Amino acid sequence: MGLPLFDAQSDPGPSFVRFAEMAGLTLPPATSDLSAHATTVVAVRFAEGVVMVGDRQATSYYVANRDVRKIEAADRYTALAISGSAARGLEFIRLAQLSFEHYEKMSDSALSLEGKANYLSPLIQRNNLTSTLVVLPLLAGWDLAHQRGRIFEYDGAGGCYERQDFSVIGSGTPFADSTLRLGFKPDMSREDALALAALAIYEAADNDPSTGGPDFVRNIFPMIVTLTAEGFRELDQDTAAATFRSINDRRAESGGVAGGTLR
Amino acid sequence: MSNYFYVAPEQLIKDRAEFAQKGIARGRSIVAAIYDVGVVMVAENPSASLYKISEIYDRIAFAGVGKYNEFDRLREAGIRWADGTGYTYSREDVDARALANYYAQHLGDMFTEGQKPLEVEILVAQLGNKFRPTKLYRIAYEGTISDEADYAVLGGDAETIKGRFADLEVGHLSLSQTLKNAVAALAGPDRELPVSDLEVGVLEDRGDRRTFARLGDDQIASLLT
Repeated sequence: MGLPLFDAQSDPGPSFVRFAEMAGLTLPPATSDLSAHATTVVAVRFAEGVVMVGDRQATSYYVANRDVRKIEAADRYTALAISGSAARGLEFIRLAQLSFEHYEKMSDSALSLEGKANYLSPLIQRNNLTSTLVVLPLLAGWDLAHQRGRIFEYDGAGGCYERQDFSVIGSGTPFADSTLRLGFKPDMSREDALALAALAIYEAADNDPSTGGPDFVRNIFPMIVTLTAEGFRELDQDTAAATFRSINDRRAESGGVAGGTLR
Repeated sequence: MSNYFYVAPEQLIKDRAEFAQKGIARGRSIVAAIYDVGVVMVAENPSASLYKISEIYDRIAFAGVGKYNEFDRLREAGIRWADGTGYTYSREDVDARALANYYAQHLGDMFTEGQKPLEVEILVAQLGNKFRPTKLYRIAYEGTISDEADYAVLGGDAETIKGRFADLEVGHLSLSQTLKNAVAALAGPDRELPVSDLEVGVLEDRGDRRTFARLGDDQIASLLT
């Protein structure tokens, strides 16, 4: 690639996607049904931010991968989770990360959280309306301007909706969503929000074959991420292990009966 | 009937060089230097928002003197080139030398074929790691590219400032000492530069992928005391 210079009329501005299209770096998505997919990721708002928990399994006709990272830092204060086609989803994360950084370097100021949420809409729309490899992301972050955690969810056509309580994406949604509906309270503590979000993933993995639960044999646990004034933090594996072990122990005590697990 | 005047190529080049030098000499200068654990770039810049020093990529920074709109367009092209290359291949494949060569080609083309030469002088700095060296590439208005060993000075009064800086800077010192020397060299013996007229950017490993940082007035003041 040569030096990408543009005159003032054709300049793509700070948008990496527009630049990449003009420079021919992006290829139009092809259609295929050979892809790994399925997921459950939840995001829950609490008093000081947002907690996100996501399973690690990629599924096609069989388990394709047991330790996929479906939540990534889009930048220092934002996390992006994906569901749907793994191939398109991981590419989507890469493009979003790069776009936010590109904008920041080009214009010497970071995009607002709402700006980031809106930027993703046409990307989702373009991917999902031209390809069978559907991607549905979930964006959560700490809004520096408004000093609070915020969650943005999307529909298949790219519509962007802010959620004040919690949001769920992926094939395990009915089970995770039901758990959160029963357990959610506004302004929860970090510990309560974390325990509730982890339980939601546990329930999804329990009933949805395409969602991976805690794997005590391989020591692989769902990812737990918090977004607070400190920015993006991924909890270490020991903390994730302890969180899921305590849920598992309680479930074993009740002989596998779910009722009463919710505190 | 129109008249065509013959202009000797030597004369043409000389005229264009003079034109570009005059434009560059109107602006203030920049000192860039390698210190013990990084690269620091110091510009005399009264504006707090029209920057001369910028981040290009994880370990690459840009500095420009001369006409703002001209070097800012080069800065933007550099960011696009770096992000585009990293997206196509890998972040590891983005190399300052390749970018400096593209800049040199473009400036050379503009000097010989453009309506007028670009009135800019630019610097591409790279913070080294296991795979790449720490480098300062200075690219002049006519496309001459030079690989500067420990420090580089851009701008009209470059030779004088370089002389002053060379007397102060011996080996790779601390950030604080290098910054003091750079500010002293920029100011000269007869005046003092207020912190508000300084723009400072550094490339240094802080454990993050991105190594560029812009220093605020408070940070600059505490490093200078």
